[in-house]
Amino acid sequence: MATPEFILALQDSALAVFIRGESAGGEWAFPIVETVHVMALAVVYGSIAMVDLRMLGITWRDVRLSKLADEVLPWTWIAFLIAAFSGSLMFIAKGDIYWNNLETRLKFLCMALAGVNMAIYQFGMHRRVSEWDLRLPPPRAVRLAGALSITLWTGVVFFGRWIGFTTQ
Amino acid sequence: MFRSLAEQIANSNLSLILQNTSWVVPLTQSIHIVALSVLFASVLMISLQLLGVGARSRSVSQVAGTLLPWMWRALLVLLLTGMLQAFIEPVRQFITPIFWFKMLLVASLALLTLWFSHTLRANVAAWDAPATRPAVAKLFAVVSIIGWSTVIVFGRFIAYVWADYL
Repeated sequence: MATPEFILALQDSALAVFIRGESAGGEWAFPIVETVHVMALAVVYGSIAMVDLRMLGITWRDVRLSKLADEVLPWTWIAFLIAAFSGSLMFIAKGDIYWNNLETRLKFLCMALAGVNMAIYQFGMHRRVSEWDLRLPPPRAVRLAGALSITLWTGVVFFGRWIGFTTQ
Repeated sequence: MFRSLAEQIANSNLSLILQNTSWVVPLTQSIHIVALSVLFASVLMISLQLLGVGARSRSVSQVAGTLLPWMWRALLVLLLTGMLQAFIEPVRQFITPIFWFKMLLVASLALLTLWFSHTLRANVAAWDAPATRPAVAKLFAVVSIIGWSTVIVFGRFIAYVWADYL
């Protein structure tokens, strides 16, 4: 798949040049953006894992799933926005390489599947959450959604780390 | 001193085998990131509860009781994967002062968390009620958030700061 024009154009922008560390004062740009990305992803993964483990009935067993999700997930979304923003900055720095990188594609595939899984749960079991909220173990469909979620997000982290080794 | 020790480890048979197995380093780093996420999210949640920003329906002892075991498990995984990384790429780690600052910080924060765990268990009633909670609780929360954040920053910067004067 040929790299889209706009990705090539972005890669030539002053911002991309700066993040690559090729302009004055940008020597630390990439490591700093990367560090922000790691801190944000830690909050995303850690908070999602907490909810997933509750869906599996492993932890937070005395707390209603709906309550835990309501409290934790706003933080997840804030962190996700920061991760997406810092991730985009890193992406445009070497857009051509990342676009053609297998691990990058697998990472986005995992993220898309995690999104589909979340949507199915949200519009399915979650609509009747009050009926099974405190049931232990949670219904089979809920446990399945939790297991899929933590597996896919672990895939996102793993492929994400692998990108750093396959795009140098 | 650190450099010669690091080179000795790097030249050992097992380290050489692992260095030449391309998937070992990314795999241990990936596990390291998953574990640090569990640890960091737990730290934030406990700290927010201590600062009074967390869920009102839950007590500090309930949140800490659920998350401290996860913190210790995550820390164990972090130590094991971290030691493996140091064993495979000792030169990269040992010659950077940031690595040693990070180790010092991790040890201090682990001891601090141990202190918190014991103090909480000894005074559950006082710590659970916001009115009687010791002022040191908020200090612990702030130090935890800043401390563990710094650990993550240092961890990422080990890969970039090659100050070879150790």
